[in-house]
Amino acid sequence: MRVEYINPFVEAAYSVLTEVLNTEVKRGELYLKSTSMSVLGVAAIVGLAGDVEGRVLFDMTGKTALNVTNAMLGSMGMETIETFNDMGKATITELANMITGQAVTKLHNLGFTFDLTPPALFTGENMEISDQRVEALIVPMETEYGKIEINVAVRER
Amino acid sequence: MRTKGDFPNINERQAEGVKLDGTPYRVLVVDDSMFVTKQIQQILTSEGFEIIGVAVNGEEGVEKYKELHPNVDLVTMDITMPKMDGVTALEKIIDFDKEATVVMISALGKQDLVKQSLMLGAKNYIVKPLDRKKVLERIVNSLKR
Repeated sequence: MRVEYINPFVEAAYSVLTEVLNTEVKRGELYLKSTSMSVLGVAAIVGLAGDVEGRVLFDMTGKTALNVTNAMLGSMGMETIETFNDMGKATITELANMITGQAVTKLHNLGFTFDLTPPALFTGENMEISDQRVEALIVPMETEYGKIEINVAVRER
Repeated sequence: MRTKGDFPNINERQAEGVKLDGTPYRVLVVDDSMFVTKQIQQILTSEGFEIIGVAVNGEEGVEKYKELHPNVDLVTMDITMPKMDGVTALEKIIDFDKEATVVMISALGKQDLVKQSLMLGAKNYIVKPLDRKKVLERIVNSLKR
């Protein structure tokens, strides 16, 4: 997996998270995960197709998802939520959409062309995602609202 | 030296969403995300705009535009949506009413998309994340043109 594909996602995640959460974001150590990988509890998945194919997963615990949602809603003067409901799901999905959109724009400007699917959201405990064909690179982002792992698995066609 | 008159009094400022005749600008929001719809509503209604319709995909957006016409002053249009994407919906709305004021609001800032939208007749293009100032500035400018 080439770093050219990863960096735009990391940069976009950093800039979007800093902006919408209005807080400091720290990048943790990168690591690789292969085959089946456990998901923390709330995962937004975006598919990529074109010059490269694969997917990007924004993975966090349910508690982090709730904190992040309320930080985003609160900063806009919108009503916050008690439990991770439809509004929470829409908020995390939109967060994934903003990051991916910005990353795809960066990649496009570098000369790579591909499209992305609208994000889908998975929630649940003890979930695993399996893909034998490709390794995933995990980029942890630490914020005061919890850790968000950006899990990128792409391959060239 | 500045006199008191150089500083606008916030209480006297006309809300951005209100026309000269005192009626609000009427807005149709087309976006598949409940979060974004609420966010746009929040920003616009706080300035006196009136949201007269919300559509969750391009197809519904075009239908609602036709239904509401000529009582729509502005459309905010997402791009990545199920059923019919926002660029296609923009094209159909402009086909129906070449005077339509459509502002694209998308997470995608790809140059070709921006260019294509503006060529098709979109008045402006806003890239997410949205902030209040950016949205109001661009929307007010689009209405003036």
